Amino acid sequence: MTTVDRIRTMLVQDYKLAPDSLTLDARLEDLGIDSLGMAELVFNIEDAFALSVPDTAVTLTTLGEVVGFIDDLIAARDSEVTAPEVLSLSAGQAP
Amino acid sequence: MRRIAVTGIGVVSPLGLSPQEVFEAARAGRSGIHRLDIPGAHRLAAPLAASVHFDGSEHFEPPQQRLLDRVSQFAVVAARRAFADAQCDLTDIERERTGVFLGTGMGGTLSMDDGYQTLYGQQSDRIKPMMILQGMHNAPAGWIAIEHQLRGPALTYSTACSSSGVAIGEAWLRLASGALDVAIAGGSEAPLSLGSLKAWEAMHTLASVDATDPATSCKPFSKNRSGMVLGEGAALVVLEPWERALARGATLYGEIIGYGLTTDAGHIARPSVQGQAAAIRSALASAGLSAQDVDSINAHGTGTQANDSVETSAIKLVFGTRANRVPISATKAVHGHLLGAAGALECVLSLLALQHNVALPTMHLQEPDPQCDLDYVANVARLGAAGQTMLSHSFAFGGTNAVLALRAAG
Repeated sequence: MTTVDRIRTMLVQDYKLAPDSLTLDARLEDLGIDSLGMAELVFNIEDAFALSVPDTAVTLTTLGEVVGFIDDLIAARDSEVTAPEVLSLSAGQAP
Repeated sequence: MRRIAVTGIGVVSPLGLSPQEVFEAARAGRSGIHRLDIPGAHRLAAPLAASVHFDGSEHFEPPQQRLLDRVSQFAVVAARRAFADAQCDLTDIERERTGVFLGTGMGGTLSMDDGYQTLYGQQSDRIKPMMILQGMHNAPAGWIAIEHQLRGPALTYSTACSSSGVAIGEAWLRLASGALDVAIAGGSEAPLSLGSLKAWEAMHTLASVDATDPATSCKPFSKNRSGMVLGEGAALVVLEPWERALARGATLYGEIIGYGLTTDAGHIARPSVQGQAAAIRSALASAGLSAQDVDSINAHGTGTQANDSVETSAIKLVFGTRANRVPISATKAVHGHLLGAAGALECVLSLLALQHNVALPTMHLQEPDPQCDLDYVANVARLGAAGQTMLSHSFAFGGTNAVLALRAAG
């Protein structure tokens, strides 16, 4: 399954969102995902994709941006190439 | 002070999920206490509890259920039932003058326990983002306010075993004075996490498992009583001015006529005869009654050596030579100790007992204690014995005592 399909499945099953509302340009706010919802979604994405999302604040407004962000993290992890904005950090570790 | 009626009841309890079920079980003496079978129960010296058959997924969609600890789920469902029962269609303006008054002793214990298991048990940093929102004591009241759009005060009282007696009393005060027009009041508790069970066990205050029948392990006022049994659940009542209730043809379950609130200021756990007696007297004064006017009592009656002896002495102190002519019902024998929700469940049972004019039985009282020699309505309900006026006692660790004075509607 592609990243967008996996995220769509999570949103339909766990958040009971209508599948046809989940277009790439759908705004998270319009889907009822506020900052609290984002924190929970990120947590679940970390589990589902075996990722560690960095603490640095990134503004993600649409579903497409979330998908792109996840894909970047997956690519970085898989190729073991690190770049400042996608570095997975555990607390206190320098780049 | 306005007269205040109880016009709706919602319960989620070890005795059942409706007022009728709960009353019938208590009247018949059917115990909701059982052997506990949860992960880790083998680590409990006496794996006993009064639990509720409750599946949150039957009441909530996943996105909301994830935000709600079991304590909030109980409270929200009980509130739905109480408001449905009361049928009091509130206007927007009325919602601004409606308050939520909720008692809980321990808040969202299951969510907290789960989080600590992650942190310390699994040595993982993966704490769920919702843990704070689930665990906080004020979550149940907050969710009730959100669901019913209630914009008056949404308050949470945490005074251990008297929390919901306090909550109902505090709601009554605001309504009686005219500060508010409607209230939903009561309590919720979901303390059956392994962590909290072990913590209670560590105090050596829990009952041992009865060898013949675990369901009879809680034996208030009995010579062979060995302690309390923890219970879970929620009970909520809708309160509104008597005149308003009459005018709209509401069901009148009864009336709250007084509220005694005192503090022992003695020992952090040990009950005080003087403190309990003062609370009883305070309730009587608040209702404009004398001890002569009380027909029956729903006791705190936890089944511990300490409480039951002290409560007996306190009743004797207040009622004098009349003490042994007042029927005293200790219903924790069948529903367990719901801690922060105990006062509310027992208030509900008291109102129903008054409504049916039945003194509920104190079950499992096979060996009378010479030190507890009053009339505890042993083992069999007594028709015609509730009378018109009943007191409901809630005494607590920390020393906050709440006594509600209740009157039959008829």
